[in-house]
Amino acid sequence: MKRRIVMATFVSLIAFASIAIAQVDDYRKIQTPSLHSIQIPQPKRIQLPNGMVIFLQEDHELPLIRGTANIRGGGRDEPAEKTGLVGILRQAWRTGGTATKTGDELDDFLESRSAFVETGADADSMSVNLNVLKGDFDAVFPIWVDLLRNPQFRQDKIDLAKTQANTSISRRNDDPGSILGREANKLGYGPGSIYARQTEYATIAAITRDDLLAFHKRFVYPNNIILGFVGDFDSAKLEKKLRGTFASWPKGPQAVKPAFVSNPAKPGLYFVSKEDVTQANIAMVHPGILRNNPDYYAVEVMNTIFSNVFSGRLMQRLRTQRGLTYGVGGGIGAGWDDPALFTVRMATKSGTTLESVAALKNEVAGLINTPFTPEEMSLAKEAILNAYVFTMDSRDKALSQQVLLEFYGFPPDYFAKFPAQIQKVTADDVTRVAKKYVHPEELAVLVVGNEKEFEKPLGTLGNVTTIDVTIPEPGAKPAASGSASAPAATAAPAPVASAEGLALAKKVLAFVGGKEKVDAMQTVRYTESRVLNTPQGEMNADVTTTVKAPDMVRQEMTLPMGTMTSVMTPNAAFAITPMGIQDLPSSARASASGEMKIDFFNVLRHVDDPKYSFAIVGTEKIGDVTTQILDVNADGAHAKWYVDPATGKVLRRARVAAGPAGGEIVTDFTEWKAFGGITFPTASTSTRGGEKFSQVKVTNVEVNPTVDAAVFEKPKS
Amino acid sequence: MKIIQKTMFLLFIAISVNAQDLASFEKKTTVKKLDNGLTVIVMERHDAPVFSYVTLVNAGSAQEITGYSGLAHMFEHMAFKGSDRVGTKDWEKERTALAKVELAYAAYDRARRAETGRDEAKTRELEKSWRDAMADADKYVVNNEFSTIVDRAGGVEMNAGTAEDMTIYNFSMPSNRFELWAWLESERFLRPVFREFYKERDVVMEERRMRTESNPFGRLIEQFLTTSFVAHPYGVPGIGWPSDLQTFSATDAEAFFRKYYVPSNMVIAIVGDVNAAEAMPIIEKYFGRLPKAPAPDPLRTVEPKQIAERTVTLKETSQPIYMEGYHRPAATHPDNAAFDVISMLLSSGRTSRLYKSLVRDKKIAAVAAGINGFPGSKYPNLFVFYAVPTPGHSAADVIESMRAEIERIKSEDVSDDELKSVKTRVKGGLLRQLDSNEGLAEQLASYQTLYGDWRELFREVDRIDKVTAADVRRVANETFLPTNRTVATIESTRPAAPKGGAK
Repeated sequence: MKRRIVMATFVSLIAFASIAIAQVDDYRKIQTPSLHSIQIPQPKRIQLPNGMVIFLQEDHELPLIRGTANIRGGGRDEPAEKTGLVGILRQAWRTGGTATKTGDELDDFLESRSAFVETGADADSMSVNLNVLKGDFDAVFPIWVDLLRNPQFRQDKIDLAKTQANTSISRRNDDPGSILGREANKLGYGPGSIYARQTEYATIAAITRDDLLAFHKRFVYPNNIILGFVGDFDSAKLEKKLRGTFASWPKGPQAVKPAFVSNPAKPGLYFVSKEDVTQANIAMVHPGILRNNPDYYAVEVMNTIFSNVFSGRLMQRLRTQRGLTYGVGGGIGAGWDDPALFTVRMATKSGTTLESVAALKNEVAGLINTPFTPEEMSLAKEAILNAYVFTMDSRDKALSQQVLLEFYGFPPDYFAKFPAQIQKVTADDVTRVAKKYVHPEELAVLVVGNEKEFEKPLGTLGNVTTIDVTIPEPGAKPAASGSASAPAATAAPAPVASAEGLALAKKVLAFVGGKEKVDAMQTVRYTESRVLNTPQGEMNADVTTTVKAPDMVRQEMTLPMGTMTSVMTPNAAFAITPMGIQDLPSSARASASGEMKIDFFNVLRHVDDPKYSFAIVGTEKIGDVTTQILDVNADGAHAKWYVDPATGKVLRRARVAAGPAGGEIVTDFTEWKAFGGITFPTASTSTRGGEKFSQVKVTNVEVNPTVDAAVFEKPKS
Repeated sequence: MKIIQKTMFLLFIAISVNAQDLASFEKKTTVKKLDNGLTVIVMERHDAPVFSYVTLVNAGSAQEITGYSGLAHMFEHMAFKGSDRVGTKDWEKERTALAKVELAYAAYDRARRAETGRDEAKTRELEKSWRDAMADADKYVVNNEFSTIVDRAGGVEMNAGTAEDMTIYNFSMPSNRFELWAWLESERFLRPVFREFYKERDVVMEERRMRTESNPFGRLIEQFLTTSFVAHPYGVPGIGWPSDLQTFSATDAEAFFRKYYVPSNMVIAIVGDVNAAEAMPIIEKYFGRLPKAPAPDPLRTVEPKQIAERTVTLKETSQPIYMEGYHRPAATHPDNAAFDVISMLLSSGRTSRLYKSLVRDKKIAAVAAGINGFPGSKYPNLFVFYAVPTPGHSAADVIESMRAEIERIKSEDVSDDELKSVKTRVKGGLLRQLDSNEGLAEQLASYQTLYGDWRELFREVDRIDKVTAADVRRVANETFLPTNRTVATIESTRPAAPKGGAK
């Protein structure tokens, strides 16, 4: 009996397959007519004298209007100790209402009209959007404008946003994919990176309403905003309305991109234990590239060959052929204004974790050692080129693209030129970029899962660094930015500004000469001779630095190879070198701004400024003196001063260096002398990261010298 | 060949938006029912030279029988494996090799699951024969040829989904690839070949591990559904039970396909740069080949009335989640519109009652909302309330406030303003769905399948417009009863998460 059933099954398969209705030819014989040339119109671009850029795109298909104000400034601009500020800001921006309408009143007004005014934020931008039925535009537009310019950030809504943020924190380890994403980011960028910082209860608690108002005030200006409108309106009329609304808004400080520091983790294996799962999640990361890299097009082709669903190598081999996974993908990331990461991700049952790590590594190595076949090349290029029509398939998309290009400073025809660039890519190009940008030996490999159920312990593959993702309790200091694991129990509390701290700061002020004299010092010129410890050995430098309060610095440094002059002011940042005049990158500006804030005399001029705070955080014996350690917060810039409490003399200063090398710079002041009634440190030695760094001897100080304004201006060349 | 054309100008007057735009939209829709019973809808939008389609089969995981859970979804995976002309190096040889795989598997499976007289050595031998047969059949496979053809032609967003009520297949193509699309889509349902079936079972197991087993919401929802439904297949997870997933065969999947993938049980909606008059002959040429077959027998089991409250509690290291569900009738029931109104009143937007009470005022939940029509809507289903407690709060903390809002709906008439706001938002919501080829294709196919008429997409808004405060109250009182309730919670075994010191 069993045999008969089995035979019946066998027969049915054959019978089924031979039902012949095949009057239709093979698909390869189907003619492909040429594509209809329907052009989506490009939006109209307008620039106001105050710098605001506006894009308008009419679309009369439906009686809807959508508009977005895209604002420069986002999560990457938060101070590290207030990570999560922009998330709170985004929520409270809308829910906190305007001066005339609370958020709840806005809810009633808007929802009863099926209208939306909402806010958005990410790492580099914020947005205020409106989405309304055409007939309600005139009623809702003023609300959108008011909310954009005058959010009230009412405290009750800040508290609500904090509760939401804390809820997310408490749940962030519940899903393995979420752990994987966060920790992989930290490994790829570095844990303190502006793209990998982690919100904690402590950082959320530290955020105040003043912080939100200050952040809004720092960025929301017409010269930092790109408006985009699409929908059922008349462009001429809307343009008139927008000009009328925004043209009189004065310019403000230009948003400056913060310094980006790439500090990827050492290559190797990293592990997060999670026991309530039946699957391991795997990620492999190292730094990637920028979008404006001319190799980007070859990289796109490579990524397609590698990771296209289902036809790419990863899916074909790890899912279809081996059944190891449901989801696998990755490639070289290309960031718009900072490098992204090379990432691959995969999930597999716990019992095939090590096998999958090996298989995935093999595929990454395969990008370098397995030639790209003509078939792979032609499929990838055709797929990209034939699908290109979808990048431009709606008026809405055309608008978003122009806003994107404007935001990142790419030319408006960047996307239009894309197909021609892809067309040019050869197998040699793809081979070259794979070797150049994919480095299997540099990968940080992260596994999140239940090791008890792996086929073998992870350690059999090599040394494993275990990452502790325990969520620090509120009140604990957030994990130090240099370490991946930070046990919460022993963390020191964050410094709290205190009266004692302020008193000590004032003692320092008294030591150097007192408030009146220091306030009167508007310009100072130092002449120094320095010995610098560089990888090339010791180098002598003569340095003349002119500082004009509050925010201008000129430094001339004469080294054996020549003189370099750098100037930094709110209006200019440039260097004059033997090679000519160069503008300094925004990263240099950002770190210079921090340096100016934490400058010794700048701090002393601001002891009474609420943005500057002081706290005593400990003691330290230096020589015979038990100094008090004064934590200085200069409007976001930090240093520690080791002060002799008897005299107010600063014996040592410690500061985390800006720039790619990082590390702590510790400066010991060995001599103080008076010039023009003010006492200056005139001799010091510094170490960086514990290594010898420099010795400085100040040979002269001029207080309030006559300075030609031209020295702070860029020469005509 | 029947062509049903649209003249629905009356409809637009009912909706308080610009009637002219909707009318021009609606004029561009053509419906045709082929001789074999297949329904095809073409809606023209010539903004860009692209089109999107959805093939909707009126069968989902609810059609599965005991021992074969997950089969509908499994077939959906198989629909990407090609046919006798796509995905093979040599169909004649492959066909024979695949038949041998089935024979070998049947023998191995019988031995593996024998309840008495098990012979382990023999079982292992049969397993080896089966694996050898698979390795042999694999030699003839051209991996992923179907999707490669689509990719090469510029197709994007290729996807498929299996729900309890239906299975859908979709992607978008440049509009000059219409005939290629018709060839591929008809071919995959004309002569699908179940190659690499057993490897794909492993892939689906990974999907289950990802969606259900390794995720707290996934685990909770599976427990919630199996507890809420004692008889009807809505209580069986669509992804399938592990033992079923590791047992069913290609032959089983083929049987499911033959029973349910019949043209009279399928709707195809195409939206975009397609000219209906030119497209219909092509559709007829390719899809007319699908053999006419009897419509499958409708589902027999009806969930019996729930007469006692049920509770299921998961104790986990993850954070608490709360949900409770009440049985409600199928979407075709006249009270459906009242349920939509209740859902919006309670949980849509910041003016909703659950948001105001639990999220905004009491701050005991970060999210508090309702889901109307869970896990499906074709059959009697559930109205679900859920809440994500804030740190320091448990599921028990949110119950009282949740129930208080439910009681309010039962005991107080909803205000005119609230009702008006809901109705305006429903209309606004519909409007915003009309500007996407993909979205429209899915809506048209869904409404055509559920109601037999895609126009119900618009009529539904009409019905919601007529709902009164009395309707809302009556339906709430009939539905939100303790005896009709199933509660599912995650209780955290971690010490209460700190309240965060937020100040």
